[in-house]
Amino acid sequence: MAKLMDSKLKNIIEALIFVSIEPLTEENIRKVLEEFPQEEIDKAIRELLQSFSDNEKGIQVTNSGGGYLFSTKPEYDSWIKRLLHIERKNKLSSAAIEALSAIAYHQPITLAEISALRGVDSSHTLKTLLQKKLIKIVGRKKCPGKPLIYRTSEKFLTYFGLNSLNDLPTQEEISKILEEENNFEK
Amino acid sequence: MESTDSYKVRLEVFEGPLDLLLYLIKKQKIDIHHIPIATVTKEYLEYLNKKKRININREAEFLFMAALLIYIKSRMLLPREKVINEEDPRQPLVHRLLDYQNIKGASAILRKKEDEEHLKWKRTSQPPLLKGEDLELEEVSLFDLAEAFFSLMKRRESQDFRIIKGKEFSVEEKIKEILTELKKNSFLDFLDYFYQQESLEEALVSFFGLLELIKTKVVVAVQEQLFQAIKVWLTKDYYAWQN
Repeated sequence: MAKLMDSKLKNIIEALIFVSIEPLTEENIRKVLEEFPQEEIDKAIRELLQSFSDNEKGIQVTNSGGGYLFSTKPEYDSWIKRLLHIERKNKLSSAAIEALSAIAYHQPITLAEISALRGVDSSHTLKTLLQKKLIKIVGRKKCPGKPLIYRTSEKFLTYFGLNSLNDLPTQEEISKILEEENNFEK
Repeated sequence: MESTDSYKVRLEVFEGPLDLLLYLIKKQKIDIHHIPIATVTKEYLEYLNKKKRININREAEFLFMAALLIYIKSRMLLPREKVINEEDPRQPLVHRLLDYQNIKGASAILRKKEDEEHLKWKRTSQPPLLKGEDLELEEVSLFDLAEAFFSLMKRRESQDFRIIKGKEFSVEEKIKEILTELKKNSFLDFLDYFYQQESLEEALVSFFGLLELIKTKVVVAVQEQLFQAIKVWLTKDYYAWQN
Protein backbone atom coordinates (compact mmCIF):
# COMPACT_ATOMS: atom_id res chain seq x y z
CA MET A 1 0.00 0.00 0.00
CA ALA A 2 2.77 2.38 0.97
CA LYS A 3 4.57 1.50 -2.22
CA LEU A 4 1.52 2.42 -4.29
CA MET A 5 1.28 5.71 -2.46
CA ASP A 6 4.88 6.61 -3.25
CA SER A 7 4.58 6.09 -6.95
CA LYS A 8 1.36 8.03 -7.00
CA LEU A 9 3.01 11.00 -5.33
CA LYS A 10 5.86 10.77 -7.81
CA ASN A 11 3.37 10.84 -10.67
CA ILE A 12 1.55 13.84 -9.27
CA ILE A 13 4.79 15.80 -9.08
CA GLU A 14 5.64 14.74 -12.62
CA ALA A 15 2.26 16.07 -13.78
CA LEU A 16 2.82 19.33 -11.92
CA ILE A 17 6.19 19.86 -13.58
CA PHE A 18 4.65 19.04 -16.93
CA VAL A 19 2.14 21.89 -16.78
CA SER A 20 4.64 24.43 -15.41
CA ILE A 21 6.24 26.81 -17.87
CA GLU A 22 8.38 28.43 -15.18
CA PRO A 23 10.60 26.19 -13.04
CA LEU A 24 8.34 24.55 -10.42
CA THR A 25 9.68 25.36 -6.98
CA GLU A 26 9.69 22.87 -4.10
CA GLU A 27 7.70 25.41 -2.17
CA ASN A 28 4.96 25.23 -4.78
CA ILE A 29 5.04 21.44 -4.80
CA ARG A 30 4.63 21.44 -1.02
CA LYS A 31 1.75 23.90 -1.23
CA VAL A 32 -0.14 21.67 -3.65
CA LEU A 33 0.63 18.48 -1.72
CA GLU A 34 -0.04 19.99 1.70
CA GLU A 35 -1.61 16.81 3.11
CA PHE A 36 1.55 14.81 2.54
CA PRO A 37 4.49 14.78 4.94
CA GLN A 38 7.65 16.56 3.89
CA GLU A 39 9.86 13.48 3.82
CA GLU A 40 7.50 11.62 1.51
CA ILE A 41 7.51 14.50 -0.94
CA ASP A 42 11.32 14.68 -0.83
CA LYS A 43 11.52 10.96 -1.44
CA ALA A 44 9.09 11.18 -4.36
CA ILE A 45 11.13 14.01 -5.94
CA ARG A 46 14.32 11.95 -5.61
CA GLU A 47 12.61 8.96 -7.20
CA LEU A 48 11.25 11.09 -9.99
CA LEU A 49 14.70 12.48 -10.78
CA GLN A 50 16.07 8.95 -10.63
CA SER A 51 13.44 7.57 -13.01
CA PHE A 52 14.30 10.16 -15.64
CA SER A 53 18.05 9.73 -15.42
CA ASP A 54 18.15 6.25 -16.96
CA ASN A 55 18.27 5.68 -20.71
CA GLU A 56 14.59 4.91 -21.08
CA LYS A 57 13.56 8.48 -21.77
CA GLY A 58 14.39 11.35 -24.11
CA ILE A 59 13.53 14.01 -21.61
CA GLN A 60 14.80 14.69 -18.13
CA VAL A 61 13.88 16.72 -15.08
CA THR A 62 16.41 19.47 -14.52
CA ASN A 63 16.82 21.46 -11.38
CA SER A 64 17.49 25.02 -12.49
CA GLY A 65 16.18 28.53 -11.92
CA GLY A 66 15.16 27.57 -8.38
CA GLY A 67 12.82 24.75 -9.40
CA TYR A 68 12.17 21.70 -11.52
CA LEU A 69 11.68 21.79 -15.25
CA PHE A 70 11.43 19.30 -18.09
CA SER A 71 14.10 19.52 -20.73
CA THR A 72 15.25 17.25 -23.49
CA LYS A 73 18.45 15.30 -23.01
CA PRO A 74 21.43 16.96 -24.68
CA GLU A 75 22.15 14.03 -26.99
CA TYR A 76 18.91 14.57 -28.93
CA ASP A 77 19.70 18.16 -29.84
CA SER A 78 20.26 17.51 -33.54
CA TRP A 79 16.88 15.80 -33.97
CA ILE A 80 15.03 18.66 -32.34
CA LYS A 81 16.79 21.13 -34.59
CA ARG A 82 15.62 19.10 -37.55
CA LEU A 83 12.04 19.25 -36.36
CA LEU A 84 12.07 22.96 -35.67
CA HIS A 85 14.14 23.88 -38.75
CA ILE A 86 16.68 25.63 -36.58
CA GLU A 87 20.32 25.43 -37.53
CA ARG A 88 21.74 26.92 -34.41
CA LYS A 89 20.60 28.88 -31.42
CA ASN A 90 21.73 32.45 -31.04
CA LYS A 91 24.43 32.91 -28.49
CA LEU A 92 24.92 35.96 -26.37
CA SER A 93 27.61 38.37 -27.56
CA SER A 94 30.84 38.44 -25.57
CA ALA A 95 29.96 41.94 -24.39
CA ALA A 96 26.62 40.64 -23.12
CA ILE A 97 28.18 37.70 -21.26
CA GLU A 98 30.82 39.96 -19.76
CA ALA A 99 28.26 42.49 -18.55
CA LEU A 100 26.15 39.64 -17.16
CA SER A 101 29.02 38.26 -15.09
CA ALA A 102 29.83 41.75 -13.86
CA ILE A 103 26.20 42.14 -12.75
CA ALA A 104 25.89 38.62 -11.36
CA TYR A 105 28.86 39.01 -9.03
CA HIS A 106 28.40 42.64 -8.05
CA GLN A 107 24.64 43.01 -7.83
CA PRO A 108 22.79 45.19 -7.01
CA ILE A 109 24.71 47.41 -9.39
CA THR A 110 24.26 50.57 -11.47
CA LEU A 111 25.14 51.21 -15.09
CA ALA A 112 28.09 53.41 -14.11
CA GLU A 113 29.48 50.67 -11.87
CA ILE A 114 29.13 48.04 -14.59
CA SER A 115 30.86 50.33 -17.09
CA ALA A 116 33.67 51.00 -14.60
CA LEU A 117 34.20 47.28 -14.00
CA ARG A 118 34.42 46.58 -17.71
CA GLY A 119 36.20 49.80 -18.65
CA VAL A 120 33.63 50.19 -21.41
CA ASP A 121 30.34 52.07 -21.67
CA SER A 122 27.71 49.36 -21.21
CA SER A 123 24.42 51.22 -21.79
CA HIS A 124 23.74 49.52 -25.10
CA THR A 125 24.59 46.07 -23.75
CA LEU A 126 22.30 46.60 -20.76
CA LYS A 127 19.44 47.50 -23.07
CA THR A 128 19.88 44.21 -24.90
CA LEU A 129 20.04 42.25 -21.65
CA LEU A 130 16.86 43.95 -20.42
CA GLN A 131 15.11 43.10 -23.67
CA LYS A 132 16.18 39.50 -23.30
CA LYS A 133 14.88 39.66 -19.72
CA LEU A 134 18.18 38.33 -18.38
CA ILE A 135 18.43 41.28 -16.00
CA LYS A 136 15.84 43.41 -14.24
CA ILE A 137 15.61 46.87 -12.73
CA VAL A 138 15.07 46.66 -8.99
CA GLY A 139 15.00 50.32 -8.02
CA ARG A 140 17.08 53.47 -7.87
CA LYS A 141 20.22 54.13 -5.89
CA LYS A 142 20.00 56.85 -3.26
CA CYS A 143 22.84 58.96 -4.59
CA PRO A 144 23.12 61.97 -6.91
CA GLY A 145 21.33 61.31 -10.17
CA LYS A 146 19.35 58.43 -8.63
CA PRO A 147 20.66 55.86 -11.13
CA LEU A 148 18.73 52.65 -11.80
CA ILE A 149 19.87 49.51 -10.00
CA TYR A 150 20.08 46.21 -11.84
CA ARG A 151 19.98 42.57 -10.82
CA THR A 152 20.08 39.31 -12.72
CA SER A 153 16.63 37.78 -13.31
CA GLU A 154 15.26 34.28 -12.77
CA LYS A 155 15.58 33.77 -16.50
CA PHE A 156 19.32 34.39 -16.15
CA LEU A 157 19.52 31.35 -13.86
CA THR A 158 17.56 29.06 -16.18
CA TYR A 159 19.47 30.33 -19.19
CA PHE A 160 22.76 29.14 -17.72
CA GLY A 161 21.26 26.12 -15.96
CA LEU A 162 21.95 27.51 -12.50
CA ASN A 163 19.66 26.74 -9.60
CA SER A 164 20.49 29.85 -7.61
CA LEU A 165 23.12 32.58 -7.49
CA ASN A 166 25.08 30.29 -5.16
CA ASP A 167 25.73 28.11 -8.19
CA LEU A 168 27.71 30.84 -9.98
CA PRO A 169 31.29 29.80 -10.78
CA THR A 170 33.34 29.98 -7.57
CA GLN A 171 36.60 31.84 -7.17
CA GLU A 172 38.46 28.50 -7.36
CA GLU A 173 36.76 27.58 -10.62
CA ILE A 174 37.56 31.02 -12.03
CA SER A 175 41.20 30.85 -10.94
CA LYS A 176 41.44 27.41 -12.47
CA ILE A 177 40.13 28.51 -15.84
CA LEU A 178 42.39 31.59 -15.82
CA GLU A 179 45.38 29.37 -15.13
CA GLU A 180 44.37 27.02 -17.92
CA GLU A 181 44.15 29.96 -20.29
CA ASN A 182 47.60 31.13 -19.29
CA ASN A 183 49.07 27.71 -19.83
CA PHE A 184 47.35 27.47 -23.16
CA GLU A 185 48.90 30.70 -24.30
CA LYS A 186 52.38 29.57 -23.34
CA MET B 1 44.53 49.62 -46.91
CA GLU B 2 44.62 45.98 -46.04
CA SER B 3 46.92 46.52 -43.11
CA THR B 4 44.73 49.14 -41.44
CA ASP B 5 41.80 46.79 -41.79
CA SER B 6 43.59 43.95 -40.07
CA TYR B 7 44.56 46.21 -37.17
CA LYS B 8 40.98 47.31 -36.90
CA VAL B 9 39.89 43.72 -36.51
CA ARG B 10 42.61 43.24 -33.91
CA LEU B 11 41.46 46.13 -31.75
CA GLU B 12 37.86 45.09 -31.92
CA VAL B 13 38.70 41.64 -30.64
CA PHE B 14 39.21 43.28 -27.28
CA GLU B 15 36.13 44.04 -25.28
CA GLY B 16 37.76 47.19 -23.95
CA PRO B 17 40.95 48.79 -22.66
CA LEU B 18 41.14 46.48 -19.63
CA ASP B 19 40.94 43.49 -21.93
CA LEU B 20 43.75 44.84 -24.10
CA LEU B 21 45.86 45.63 -21.06
CA LEU B 22 45.38 42.14 -19.64
CA TYR B 23 46.38 40.68 -22.97
CA LEU B 24 49.60 42.70 -23.04
CA ILE B 25 50.41 41.70 -19.48
CA LYS B 26 49.83 38.03 -20.21
CA LYS B 27 51.78 38.18 -23.43
CA GLN B 28 54.81 39.56 -21.61
CA LYS B 29 54.32 37.09 -18.75
CA ILE B 30 54.37 39.95 -16.28
CA ASP B 31 53.26 39.59 -12.68
CA ILE B 32 50.04 41.56 -12.51
CA HIS B 33 50.96 42.97 -9.08
CA HIS B 34 54.23 44.45 -10.35
CA ILE B 35 53.45 45.89 -13.72
CA PRO B 36 56.40 47.66 -15.33
CA ILE B 37 54.31 50.68 -16.26
CA ALA B 38 56.82 52.06 -18.77
CA THR B 39 56.91 48.89 -20.88
CA VAL B 40 53.21 48.29 -20.75
CA THR B 41 52.38 51.91 -21.58
CA LYS B 42 54.68 51.75 -24.56
CA GLU B 43 53.10 48.54 -25.83
CA TYR B 44 49.63 49.86 -25.21
CA LEU B 45 50.28 53.07 -27.14
CA GLU B 46 51.82 51.08 -29.98
CA TYR B 47 48.60 49.14 -30.25
CA LEU B 48 46.54 52.29 -30.42
CA ASN B 49 48.86 53.89 -32.97
CA LYS B 50 48.40 50.98 -35.31
CA LYS B 51 44.90 52.18 -35.83
CA LYS B 52 45.03 55.08 -38.23
CA ARG B 53 41.64 56.65 -37.88
CA ILE B 54 40.16 56.83 -34.47
CA ASN B 55 36.49 56.19 -33.96
CA ILE B 56 35.93 58.54 -31.05
CA ASN B 57 32.91 56.71 -29.69
CA ARG B 58 34.66 53.40 -29.36
CA GLU B 59 38.22 54.48 -28.87
CA ALA B 60 37.59 57.14 -26.23
CA GLU B 61 37.76 54.42 -23.61
CA PHE B 62 41.05 53.14 -24.98
CA LEU B 63 42.46 56.66 -24.98
CA PHE B 64 41.27 57.25 -21.45
CA MET B 65 43.24 54.22 -20.31
CA ALA B 66 46.31 55.49 -22.19
CA ALA B 67 46.03 58.76 -20.30
CA LEU B 68 45.70 56.88 -17.03
CA LEU B 69 48.81 54.82 -17.77
CA ILE B 70 50.83 57.91 -18.56
CA TYR B 71 49.55 59.56 -15.40
CA ILE B 72 50.63 56.59 -13.29
CA LYS B 73 54.00 56.52 -14.97
CA SER B 74 54.55 60.23 -14.30
CA ARG B 75 53.53 59.83 -10.67
CA MET B 76 56.04 57.06 -10.25
CA LEU B 77 58.77 59.19 -11.77
CA LEU B 78 58.19 62.20 -9.56
CA PRO B 79 60.21 62.21 -6.36
CA ARG B 80 57.99 62.50 -3.31
CA GLU B 81 58.32 63.10 0.33
CA LYS B 82 56.96 60.68 2.90
CA VAL B 83 57.30 57.72 0.63
CA ILE B 84 56.65 55.21 3.36
CA ASN B 85 52.90 55.47 3.82
CA GLU B 86 52.01 56.24 0.29
CA GLU B 87 50.09 53.76 -1.80
CA ASP B 88 51.68 52.48 -4.97
CA PRO B 89 50.06 54.57 -7.76
CA ARG B 90 49.56 51.35 -9.70
CA GLN B 91 47.42 49.83 -6.98
CA PRO B 92 43.93 51.03 -8.08
CA LEU B 93 44.63 49.85 -11.62
CA VAL B 94 45.85 46.47 -10.39
CA HIS B 95 42.60 46.09 -8.45
CA ARG B 96 40.56 46.92 -11.50
CA LEU B 97 42.54 44.48 -13.61
CA LEU B 98 42.09 41.69 -11.08
CA ASP B 99 38.35 42.37 -10.83
CA TYR B 100 38.11 42.41 -14.58
CA GLN B 101 40.13 39.23 -14.90
CA ASN B 102 37.65 37.49 -12.59
CA ILE B 103 34.76 38.71 -14.70
CA LYS B 104 36.51 37.38 -17.80
CA GLY B 105 37.05 34.01 -16.15
CA ALA B 106 33.45 33.80 -14.99
CA SER B 107 32.32 34.77 -18.50
CA ALA B 108 34.27 31.88 -19.98
CA ILE B 109 32.58 29.45 -17.58
CA LEU B 110 29.14 30.94 -18.24
CA ARG B 111 29.77 30.63 -21.96
CA LYS B 112 30.42 26.90 -21.50
CA LYS B 113 27.24 26.58 -19.48
CA GLU B 114 25.33 28.41 -22.20
CA ASP B 115 26.59 25.86 -24.72
CA GLU B 116 25.51 22.98 -22.49
CA GLU B 117 22.09 24.49 -21.83
CA HIS B 118 21.51 25.13 -25.51
CA LEU B 119 21.54 21.39 -26.07
CA LYS B 120 18.70 20.94 -23.60
CA TRP B 121 15.47 22.15 -25.12
CA LYS B 122 12.72 23.35 -22.90
CA ARG B 123 9.16 23.96 -23.77
CA THR B 124 9.59 27.62 -22.94
CA SER B 125 12.34 28.05 -25.46
CA GLN B 126 10.27 26.87 -28.37
CA PRO B 127 9.93 29.58 -31.01
CA PRO B 128 6.50 31.14 -31.55
CA LEU B 129 4.32 29.32 -34.05
CA LEU B 130 4.62 30.68 -37.52
CA LYS B 131 1.24 29.38 -38.60
CA GLY B 132 -1.43 31.99 -38.13
CA GLU B 133 -4.36 29.60 -38.28
CA ASP B 134 -3.21 27.66 -35.24
CA LEU B 135 -3.76 30.66 -33.04
CA GLU B 136 -7.54 30.72 -33.52
CA LEU B 137 -7.46 34.24 -34.72
CA GLU B 138 -9.88 36.04 -36.92
CA GLU B 139 -8.50 36.84 -40.32
CA VAL B 140 -9.05 40.46 -41.18
CA SER B 141 -10.95 41.31 -44.34
CA LEU B 142 -9.45 43.57 -46.97
CA PHE B 143 -11.97 46.24 -46.08
CA ASP B 144 -10.87 46.25 -42.47
CA LEU B 145 -7.29 46.58 -43.60
CA ALA B 146 -8.02 49.38 -46.02
CA GLU B 147 -10.10 51.18 -43.44
CA ALA B 148 -7.36 50.94 -40.82
CA PHE B 149 -4.83 52.10 -43.35
CA PHE B 150 -6.73 55.16 -44.53
CA SER B 151 -7.72 56.32 -41.07
CA LEU B 152 -4.08 56.05 -40.11
CA MET B 153 -2.99 58.04 -43.15
CA LYS B 154 -5.53 60.73 -42.40
CA ARG B 155 -4.17 61.03 -38.92
CA ARG B 156 -0.67 61.26 -40.32
CA GLU B 157 -1.63 63.87 -42.87
CA SER B 158 -2.74 66.35 -40.23
CA GLN B 159 0.65 66.03 -38.56
CA ASP B 160 2.80 66.58 -41.62
CA PHE B 161 3.94 70.14 -42.02
CA ARG B 162 5.91 69.69 -45.18
CA ILE B 163 7.00 66.81 -47.30
CA ILE B 164 10.47 66.49 -48.66
CA LYS B 165 10.43 64.36 -51.73
CA GLY B 166 13.01 61.67 -51.44
CA LYS B 167 13.69 58.39 -53.14
CA GLU B 168 11.17 56.34 -55.02
CA PHE B 169 9.85 53.07 -53.74
CA SER B 170 9.02 49.85 -55.51
CA VAL B 171 6.49 47.26 -54.44
CA GLU B 172 9.12 44.51 -54.76
CA GLU B 173 11.45 46.34 -52.44
CA LYS B 174 8.75 46.81 -49.86
CA ILE B 175 7.71 43.17 -50.06
CA LYS B 176 11.27 42.20 -49.28
CA GLU B 177 11.36 44.65 -46.40
CA ILE B 178 8.12 43.32 -44.93
CA LEU B 179 9.34 39.72 -45.18
CA THR B 180 12.66 40.48 -43.50
CA GLU B 181 10.81 42.23 -40.73
CA LEU B 182 8.48 39.23 -40.34
CA LYS B 183 11.30 36.75 -40.27
CA LYS B 184 12.99 38.77 -37.57
CA ASN B 185 10.03 39.34 -35.30
CA SER B 186 7.59 36.61 -36.41
CA PHE B 187 4.81 39.18 -36.60
CA LEU B 188 4.28 42.78 -37.56
CA ASP B 189 1.97 45.27 -35.97
CA PHE B 190 -0.02 46.76 -38.83
CA LEU B 191 -0.47 50.27 -37.40
CA ASP B 192 3.06 50.49 -36.03
CA TYR B 193 4.52 49.49 -39.34
CA PHE B 194 2.66 52.09 -41.35
CA TYR B 195 3.23 54.71 -38.76
CA GLN B 196 6.96 54.36 -39.39
CA GLN B 197 6.61 55.10 -43.09
CA GLU B 198 7.96 58.50 -43.91
CA SER B 199 5.69 59.67 -46.70
CA LEU B 200 2.24 58.91 -48.03
CA GLU B 201 3.85 57.57 -51.17
CA GLU B 202 6.01 55.13 -49.25
CA ALA B 203 3.08 54.00 -47.15
CA LEU B 204 0.93 53.42 -50.22
CA VAL B 205 3.61 51.35 -51.91
CA SER B 206 4.07 49.31 -48.72
CA PHE B 207 0.34 48.80 -48.49
CA PHE B 208 0.21 47.45 -52.04
CA GLY B 209 3.11 45.17 -51.18
CA LEU B 210 1.24 43.87 -48.15
CA LEU B 211 -1.93 43.29 -50.19
CA GLU B 212 0.11 41.36 -52.72
CA LEU B 213 1.53 39.15 -49.95
CA ILE B 214 -1.93 38.51 -48.56
CA LYS B 215 -3.25 37.66 -52.02
CA THR B 216 -0.53 35.07 -52.55
CA LYS B 217 -1.24 33.76 -49.03
CA VAL B 218 2.34 34.27 -47.93
CA VAL B 219 1.19 36.29 -44.97
CA VAL B 220 -2.05 36.53 -43.08
CA ALA B 221 -3.48 39.57 -41.31
CA VAL B 222 -5.33 38.75 -38.11
CA GLN B 223 -7.02 40.51 -35.25
CA GLU B 224 -7.22 38.84 -31.87
CA GLN B 225 -10.38 40.65 -30.95
CA LEU B 226 -12.56 43.35 -32.38
CA PHE B 227 -10.88 46.78 -32.11
CA GLN B 228 -7.55 45.24 -31.19
CA ALA B 229 -4.30 45.67 -33.03
CA ILE B 230 -4.08 44.02 -36.42
CA LYS B 231 -1.09 41.75 -36.70
CA VAL B 232 0.53 40.30 -39.80
CA TRP B 233 2.05 36.81 -39.62
CA LEU B 234 3.87 34.57 -42.06
CA THR B 235 1.93 31.50 -43.15
CA LYS B 236 3.34 28.07 -43.79
CA ASP B 237 2.86 28.75 -47.50
CA TYR B 238 5.69 31.20 -47.15
CA TYR B 239 8.24 28.39 -47.12
CA ALA B 240 6.75 26.82 -50.20
CA TRP B 241 6.65 30.20 -51.90
CA GLN B 242 10.24 30.84 -51.08
CA ASN B 243 11.50 27.75 -52.88
